[in-house]
Amino acid sequence: MSAPLTRALATRLLAERLGAEVVVTNLGQATLELQQAADRPLNFYVFGSMGQCSSIGLGIALARPDVRVICLDGDGSLLMNLGSLCTIATEAPPNLALVIWDNEVHQTTGGQPTATAARSSLAAIARGAGIATALEVRTEDELRRAYDRVLGEDGPLVVAVKVAAVRTEGRLDRDVVGYTRRFRQALAAR
Amino acid sequence: MVDTSWAKHVADVLRRNDLRMFATVPDYIVSHVLEPLWADPECRVVTVTREEEGVGLLSGAWLAGRRGALLMQNSGLGNCVNALGSLDVACQIPIVLVISHRGDLGEFNPAQVPMGQAAGPILDALGIRWIKPASVAELEAQGDGLVKLAWTRALPVAILLPPELTGGKQG
Repeated sequence: MSAPLTRALATRLLAERLGAEVVVTNLGQATLELQQAADRPLNFYVFGSMGQCSSIGLGIALARPDVRVICLDGDGSLLMNLGSLCTIATEAPPNLALVIWDNEVHQTTGGQPTATAARSSLAAIARGAGIATALEVRTEDELRRAYDRVLGEDGPLVVAVKVAAVRTEGRLDRDVVGYTRRFRQALAAR
Repeated sequence: MVDTSWAKHVADVLRRNDLRMFATVPDYIVSHVLEPLWADPECRVVTVTREEEGVGLLSGAWLAGRRGALLMQNSGLGNCVNALGSLDVACQIPIVLVISHRGDLGEFNPAQVPMGQAAGPILDALGIRWIKPASVAELEAQGDGLVKLAWTRALPVAILLPPELTGGKQG
């Protein structure tokens, strides 16, 4: 069996394929790793609103159906806002994909296990919510194929990526107002 | 027959200020405001599972150039406090909150009262400017100005809907 995926690698593999897509990142490690891999004006970083990544992405997707929106969420955060999966299924925006870094722990706070470490499957929950395309991937090959669909297929799509509980070091840039303005202007110009 | 003509005035304040995206967890009172919005093909109304989701959704919509409002009861204000603070106030994202005010004058349900009494202080603590129009005349006098202030200041604002305006809910 190959070594488990890391979130940093999975982020880089996506970042090198990004074009005009919007990316919304969950607070903490997801934001830090995208800042490190590819800071770009069409990234919207969440800094304090645990659980809201997918809801923000849904709002962008509904307001701009001409733009593909990719959320990089976390298992702990999505578990806080599972109802969002039902709302996404109901509204069914074809331009929204939700990628979940599922490391089965609350990494930022010291690695306490989440429900996905025990019995819960986010892909199964997403299917139960009514999102027809909900995958779980564990290898680099599976991830690359999932990205083909995230970047090329009509959604909504959910991809739960099982990743190792590895912490990325570095310092977040927290210019929250600056990033907000930059994102809004960049999206308006598109 | 309950007079719900106030509700169209609320919906019209929102629409004439270019709001077209709405999120809601309905209650008896805001459902009167939702009716003209649901009936308007230019308006998109998303029913969310919890009010905090609506904050995220409308914030995303504003980031993408569309103005929106969250319609809910004051119990829902309690459900979205962190998102309002850490997303909208911190990042300077303006959305409009339309909040039916239970738990105040004439309330019959003791469980509604604590959050009803806390609604104004919660908004004040977050620095969110709010109005509580007691009549259609007050709503018409203040509503446009409040919504304009949201965009000028790039922060949320709130319209509390008190029983003096709406007739409240009878137990």
